[in-house]
Amino acid sequence: MGIFEQVNGKVVAVPVSPGREILARRGAMLAYTGNVTFSPVHMGPGGAGGMVGRMLQGEQVAMMVAQGQGTVHYGYRGLYITLIDVDGSGPLSVEADRLVAHEAALQSTVVFLGSQGGIRGAVRGAVSGQGLFTTQLHGHGSAAVLSHGGTIAIPVNGMRPVAVDPQAYVAHVGQVTVDVSASVGWRDAVGRGSGEAIQLKLTGNGTVYVQASEQKL
Amino acid sequence: MQAFRLNGSRILEIDLHGDAVRAATGAMIAYTGDVTFRNAGMGGGGGLRAALKQKATGESVSLMTCSGQGTVWFAKDAMEVLVVELAGDTLKVESEQILALSDKLKTDVAFAGLRGASSGQGLFTTTVTGFGTVALLSAGGPPIALEVSPQYPLVVDPDSFIASQGQLHQTFVTEVSWRNLIGESSGEAFSLRFDGSGVVYIQPEER
Repeated sequence: MGIFEQVNGKVVAVPVSPGREILARRGAMLAYTGNVTFSPVHMGPGGAGGMVGRMLQGEQVAMMVAQGQGTVHYGYRGLYITLIDVDGSGPLSVEADRLVAHEAALQSTVVFLGSQGGIRGAVRGAVSGQGLFTTQLHGHGSAAVLSHGGTIAIPVNGMRPVAVDPQAYVAHVGQVTVDVSASVGWRDAVGRGSGEAIQLKLTGNGTVYVQASEQKL
Repeated sequence: MQAFRLNGSRILEIDLHGDAVRAATGAMIAYTGDVTFRNAGMGGGGGLRAALKQKATGESVSLMTCSGQGTVWFAKDAMEVLVVELAGDTLKVESEQILALSDKLKTDVAFAGLRGASSGQGLFTTTVTGFGTVALLSAGGPPIALEVSPQYPLVVDPDSFIASQGQLHQTFVTEVSWRNLIGESSGEAFSLRFDGSGVVYIQPEER
């Protein structure tokens, strides 16, 4: 269903036509054919609230919109790209840094994690180094997400909570709640921990994407 | 015994059914079910003697034991994963290239000759012995397995060496000459020579 086409692990191609614009990270265009223009997007679709969020976030990624008629190739710094479809059953949550391109039909908002899980949400942001804000995409469409080393998709369902290393977490889609779980024992205090003291616990219904590395972008 | 499955070429997936597996500290990227992670000390075997050895050699792979019920995914720095089966034989491996190994396998630290001095990996190498599975890491791309037979000895760069398996005799080759002194070297002054029969795994990237 997605209109993105994976050229190889690191490059995607997408057709652009009037009414089917593509929003992408500035500088991520590799090549295009046809009559396509790129213009910067100053204030995202998030409106004023979104703008405040972006300002506070401090790591907001500048986006551009591709309009016209043609095909555009996107890629970024040789990182792997995963295509994720959003089918309306739940939003896609992804760190702004990792979002390389998405259909303009998807509504993007900046969500303050604090409102998702109170103080724990804030802790999660601080722990995973993701900032306290995350980008959410709503509606129907698909998005291209960056990762170091590619991703695997792990299903999350009611019986099966999934724990993810905060550094390896990429994105999640669906009706999923994220909670930070810390099992810090005295061993960690004396430097004999397993290195897995802090984890993100995902519950609900959906999918979580995990990358093959513990390196942030 | 657990099955070591690959999910893609860079992610290792292991199902636990009440048993345990050892993995490099911090290499877990996700898990489901009821799994606990505990520091398993170093890969130099157990006991006080091993601890002393560890201190003396600096060959330190720090491992954790993962036990319980569920599925665990492991990966490290987007390196490719190579799964090697051991049937009672010994695998010599660079400690930092170990991703995970069956809990029943024994690890120890062995003297590796002068090789370590040049490659900066310490003078000692980790040996893995027993029956089970080992998952190794290869930086820069998929690993390459090179066969060594008595007629055909093999010479590899110490910086791209991952592991060796089989009846192999390892020697250190230096080709230092007056050219090195005046900065005209080929950059390949030190290499590792393997004689005997077995398999040597190398990676496309030099450490």
